Amino acid sequence: MAKVVSLDNLLASVAARRSEAAPWLGALIDAASEKFAHVGLPNRRIEAWRYSDLAKALHETVKVESDLDAPPALAEACVAAFENGVLDDSKSSYCAMGAQSLRKVLAEKDSPFAGIIGRINPQADHPIINLNTALMEEGLVLHVPKGVTLATPLHLRFNWSGVDAASADGRHLRILVVLDEDAEATLFESHDGAPSFATVVTELSLAPNSKLTHVRLENFAAAARQTAATVGSVGEKAAYRGFYFSQGGHFARHEALMKLAGEEADARIDAAYMVADKRHCDNTTVMDHAVPNTTSTQVFRGVLAGSSRGVYQGCVKVAQAAQKTDARQLSRAMLLSHRAEIVTKPELEIFADDVKCSHGATAGELDANALFFLRARGIPEAEARAMLVEAFLIEAMDTVENEAMRAIVIACAHTWMLRHAGEASHVE
Amino acid sequence: MLEIKDLHVNVFGKEILKGLSLTVPPGEVHAIMGPNGAGKSTTSYTLAGRAGYEVTGGEIDFYGEDVTALSPEERAAKGIFLAFQYPMEIPGVSTMNFLKTAMNAQAKLRNEPELDAAQFLRTVRAAAKELNISEDMLKRPLNVGFSGGEKKRNETLQMALLKPRLAILDEMDSGLDIDALKLVAEGVNKLRAPDRSFLVITHYQRLLDYIVPDVIHILSGGKIVMSGDKSLALQLEENGYDAVINKAA
Ligand SMILES: Nc1ncnc2c1ncn2[C@@H]1O[C@H](COP(=O)(O)OP(=O)(O)OP(=O)(O)O)[C@@H](O)[C@H]1O
Ligand SMILES: [Mg+2]
Repeated sequence: MAKVVSLDNLLASVAARRSEAAPWLGALIDAASEKFAHVGLPNRRIEAWRYSDLAKALHETVKVESDLDAPPALAEACVAAFENGVLDDSKSSYCAMGAQSLRKVLAEKDSPFAGIIGRINPQADHPIINLNTALMEEGLVLHVPKGVTLATPLHLRFNWSGVDAASADGRHLRILVVLDEDAEATLFESHDGAPSFATVVTELSLAPNSKLTHVRLENFAAAARQTAATVGSVGEKAAYRGFYFSQGGHFARHEALMKLAGEEADARIDAAYMVADKRHCDNTTVMDHAVPNTTSTQVFRGVLAGSSRGVYQGCVKVAQAAQKTDARQLSRAMLLSHRAEIVTKPELEIFADDVKCSHGATAGELDANALFFLRARGIPEAEARAMLVEAFLIEAMDTVENEAMRAIVIACAHTWMLRHAGEASHVE
Repeated sequence: MLEIKDLHVNVFGKEILKGLSLTVPPGEVHAIMGPNGAGKSTTSYTLAGRAGYEVTGGEIDFYGEDVTALSPEERAAKGIFLAFQYPMEIPGVSTMNFLKTAMNAQAKLRNEPELDAAQFLRTVRAAAKELNISEDMLKRPLNVGFSGGEKKRNETLQMALLKPRLAILDEMDSGLDIDALKLVAEGVNKLRAPDRSFLVITHYQRLLDYIVPDVIHILSGGKIVMSGDKSLALQLEENGYDAVINKAA
């Protein structure tokens, strides 16, 4: 059984970490830990965590299943394999693309990344990012120089077998990806198994004209407790293309905190989440339009079964100077059960007057007429339901351009549907 | 052989069919006509097994078996096909994929071998061509953006591919132009066979010029109030339901 993560344990670990840190890192840790100690583990009294009470979730007991799904294998990728939160070089091939372990970078007296880590799109008051900064140990750093296009994707493969996952202060992973001008790269992040408590912070720096494709797959087991954040800055004419798939977990949250920092920067996120049983799945996005003429799009589609809970919080900020911002946001949820729940919270903070901002949220059930139509053609109910669920999500999954990745995503969706789509809401 | 005996059906607590009896022998085409709200679509949905159409009395025997307790898919596998008055648009499901899933599902339920990919394509293309359905339509999501007539042709295509023993056509002619009407009627006529029967629901004599019925029934107030040969349609066309039904009563 997992040990309870307490504030005291966490702060003791921070103190130990601090004493060994190089000065540049020590300064970072000090600032972060002071803020973290002040707020503690986020709970529902903090507005941004109102529907996702991490402190409470960490006190609940979870049972880790014995047969966990294996992590996906992406052919022709450089792999950084994290086993129970520790980078396993014997299973990795990231060196081939010039990436290096975070552990190595943090140990350096003077790192070229010292001025970058934690400073790409600073989140000074974010409790989890502060915790992560104070305790980060494992991770990866990738720098793609000017004009370089990485031909192979980088597969960040986080796998939690649940054996070593129990740790008094959790595991705190940090990924740093820096794209110089005109660089291009593809990140494939997969999260499998059941971390007892993990935080993952992925920092993305996109210089002008660069492009990052980021496919994230959270395929957790039911016991998983993780809160992750993708924190990025998108420069002039640079593009961020995110696709997120998630099945939730005991507590699974992912935040995309993107700053549109240069003119004509564009961030687009498509997401599909499928949540069953008593799982919790939180997607939070904050699009921060800082300069004129930037665009952002988020389309989140979720399917909720059992007595699961989905949360979508979408915030769009438009600074006073950010005229001609075009921001769109859409949340669509399909509830397969009367006990399932979706919470959507759009937030617009707009200080410019010449902007286009739209947001919409819908929640509904599987279309009974469509279901009858398919069944009347001889398609069994479970299969018909799965078809309609897939039809609902396919638009999102089709945005994954890389065929191998799309196939993995669709396979995950199929597995989920075999397990859950047949659950008939009307018998409950 | 379809034998409906003294069928009573409640829809959302309200009795709509009030003792409907009807027999359609194999190979025959029977038409059902009747005023709006008479219970024609209710009959077709009940035969297909739609949820919410509660059989409170009577039987639906299909080749000797009472099917009232069967699921829609089980009835489909037994050979009951409903061409919908308003075919559903289903975004995200390609027409091709839908046809394949339906054909394979029925084959499986009947313990027949599934078609391989090449056989399937050949069969669909040939059937689509006869109904003037383009490749492009087959690639589009099911019925999405199809015109009214295209939807009805698509229903006919499904019928041709699924080869039912009983086809219920609910207002197959609504929304069709003259050419499409002929096309659909030809499609139906081609499927006429000694072991296949049809229940054709319509408001208009015109469809019955193309699909000539063996018997015409008039459904009114949830019951068959009158049956006759195809001349009945002409009488209705001339005099209207009230006059014809009242004269008989
Ligand atoms: N879901 C429903 N809830 C309540 N009443 C219904 C429902 N569906 C049908 N009805 C009622 O049942 C009656 C029969 O309807 P039905 O659709 O079977 O008529 P119809 O003969 O097909 O008419 P039309 O010629 O207009 O297609 C109508 O009075 C209708 O209002
Ligand atoms: Mg009708």
